[in-house]
Amino acid sequence: MKFFGRVSQEQIVFGLAALLCIGFAITLQGFLTPNNILNLIRSVSILGILGVAMGLVVIGRGIDLSLVSVMAISIAWTLQLATDGMSLPLALALGLTFALIVGMTNGFLIAYIEIPPIFATLAMGTLIYGFGRYFFFGLDVMYMPDDAHILTWFGQGVLFGVPVPIFLFAGVCFGAFLFLRYTKYGRYLRAVGDNQLAARITGVPTRPIVVLQYMLSSLIGFIAGIVTAASVSSMNTRVANSTFIYDVILVVVLGGIGLSGGRGGIRNVIVGTLLIGVLLNGMTIMDIQYTVQNVIKGVILLTAIVIDTILNPRDEQTAQQGDI
Amino acid sequence: MTPLLELRNGTKEYRGIPAVKDVTFTLYPGEVHALLGENGAGKSTLTKMLAGVVEPTAGEVWMDGKKVELKTPSEALKSGIAMVYQETSLVPSLTVAQNLYLTDDKHFHRLRGIYIAGQQFLQSLNFHVDPTALVSSLGAGQKQMVEIARAVHHNARVIIFDEPTSTLTPEEKYQFFSLIDRLRKNNVSIIFISHALEEALQISDRITVMRDGEHVITDDTSNFDRDKIISAMVGRSLSDELHGTHKERKVRRAGEKVLSVQNLSMQNIVRNTSFSVFSGQITGIFGLIGSGRTEAAKVVAGVMKRNLFHGGQVRLNGKPVRYRVPRPAVRDGIIYVTEDRKTEGFFETMSISENIYLGALAGGQTSARGVNMREMKTIAEKWIKALSVRAINGDASVIELSGGNQQKVVIAKALVQKPKLVIFDEPTRGVDVGAIVEIHHLIDRLADEGIAVMVISSYLPEILQLSDRILVCRQGRIVEEFAGQKTDEETIMYAAVH
Repeated sequence: MKFFGRVSQEQIVFGLAALLCIGFAITLQGFLTPNNILNLIRSVSILGILGVAMGLVVIGRGIDLSLVSVMAISIAWTLQLATDGMSLPLALALGLTFALIVGMTNGFLIAYIEIPPIFATLAMGTLIYGFGRYFFFGLDVMYMPDDAHILTWFGQGVLFGVPVPIFLFAGVCFGAFLFLRYTKYGRYLRAVGDNQLAARITGVPTRPIVVLQYMLSSLIGFIAGIVTAASVSSMNTRVANSTFIYDVILVVVLGGIGLSGGRGGIRNVIVGTLLIGVLLNGMTIMDIQYTVQNVIKGVILLTAIVIDTILNPRDEQTAQQGDI
Repeated sequence: MTPLLELRNGTKEYRGIPAVKDVTFTLYPGEVHALLGENGAGKSTLTKMLAGVVEPTAGEVWMDGKKVELKTPSEALKSGIAMVYQETSLVPSLTVAQNLYLTDDKHFHRLRGIYIAGQQFLQSLNFHVDPTALVSSLGAGQKQMVEIARAVHHNARVIIFDEPTSTLTPEEKYQFFSLIDRLRKNNVSIIFISHALEEALQISDRITVMRDGEHVITDDTSNFDRDKIISAMVGRSLSDELHGTHKERKVRRAGEKVLSVQNLSMQNIVRNTSFSVFSGQITGIFGLIGSGRTEAAKVVAGVMKRNLFHGGQVRLNGKPVRYRVPRPAVRDGIIYVTEDRKTEGFFETMSISENIYLGALAGGQTSARGVNMREMKTIAEKWIKALSVRAINGDASVIELSGGNQQKVVIAKALVQKPKLVIFDEPTRGVDVGAIVEIHHLIDRLADEGIAVMVISSYLPEILQLSDRILVCRQGRIVEEFAGQKTDEETIMYAAVH
């Protein structure tokens, strides 16, 4: 039964983003110009791509804290290999293989050894950061070699007047959307996130699906890494130790993908990303200090959750409507 | 006599939809009042209004002839109304005594002190529960005792039981009934929600029947019998359809031997058991809770693993099989329909259609490689019609359906996988009377179509009504086999408990 007047968190967040947009458009000179709007989306496209990766994992009732590390280390290694003279496609292939192996290991630890995802991926993130720094490259920041400038098109290029990262963001979103909606494995992923025991009894290969879920996350993380490296012609591996991963989780949770699994979709990631994008862009134009920006981000997240809880109270009746 | 507790013209709406409509309910001191009705009749909601768990949308609660407002369960408890829930509300990681004195006003408890006090208190109630035992280590019956002891400790004058006997073994039930008698003698009033009509007839003084949120009838228990209650509950006489007709029914002959289990063992629960199941026939398995019947079925279907060494053998159509996960079993046509649909039956974020389609996908019964929305609709519509699932349409969420319809969706999700052997584990638990009949007809039809059907149940009339063959499980082993029509409840029960 659908009830009129019930508003989902996704709609609340979208409304908030729209309100902010209107507010900024009225008060800020130059906010509502096509250039600034493109710039705004472009600036959050990496966050959005990572949000899609995290969103897929969270729908499957997991979490991937190693996502940013995978992105940084696999791309930094690729750049190191290319700098050392390896051909770019081979370097990329090796970087991708590394990312996929990490994802597979995550999935294996979680599905077969049955370690809680939060611990498995936290440890994995730390492990591969240290591993990469020690074995793959010596410097914190890896620069794009001169002969790899074909890559920079992915970060700095413009197609039909629109920056390429926006296309990549849209492409990743579309791909993930198709995966979730039109493939068997997308359905399985949702089923495992909703109720793993029921999925198992129904005959869903639950463990392989969990492995797949973390491999997809690593794959999309690798794509985000390419865009990052291409945008600034380098990869700063210190991002692996920053709070960036929490921004990614913020986008997912803010958009309304429930951490309890099975709920939400790619639309939620897009909405969450847009809100963060509008917010960051407006604050940057207003020249607000970084620390104050953090305060505002936190307040927005709390507000969204509080409004959601007030509008959609989780009373006992919604929890089990079967028994009145 | 002034009523102890009264609900006057109580109505409760959830988002505009009434769960209880204009019901007046009275409870006299020292009476046991049974509250009966199908699932969704509004019994739980009615008692929750009395216990301060939910506030009535309209109507008043009166106690001792005075109007009271009970806003929270703890306010209700202070005025002497305690509710004992289906799912126990004890803290599993604390001991029995700690649970008993958990909500006392004292800020500090000496452990030794409460153990001694707890021991004396439990003994005064004649409960044999160790106050120092962790609640997590207790059985269902003992947990219930602790819940009741806690209610008595709070000087409750009204105790509300929501389906108290559904998790108890026969022995525990017996203890529970004698306890109710003792409480009644101490002038405690009791409201008793139940699906088991015999129990209500046996222990209550008065009976109230509800249907669709409305009050149907309240009368002294002596004026009721089974048929009268059932017809009040469903508005039609179902008794014949439900029970008693099995005597005239024809027994189906056994087809091929589909499943043969030899010396199967799993931990201490299934012990070296052997049995067979034939096609075109219903094999009923009766056993008390803890007799290993569910576990044996789960090993067969790959949900649980048998012992690594001396685990025994399972043969499907003569071929030895050993499943470590359910998927290959599902692919081979062995489908297990769970007894616990909430935790391992359906997907609550998905619609009815999506649930059924997921079964088809996982069982490999879809034509396309990916997801085909049109196919999903046709498959779902076919099964919704075949099982007469009552919902607005296939897009309705399963969590919003009644217990019976949820069960039908879980069954549809299993049958869409074209099984050769279906194992129904407690197929009608928590299902309303109307749906029980429909599910029984469905199980009969499956056997007529030539599928091998296993029905596990701890409800004897159900076993007797459905089975062509009855196997009795006791302490992890199949101990006795009866032909379906040549036995009666006592014989089976005798085999199950000795």
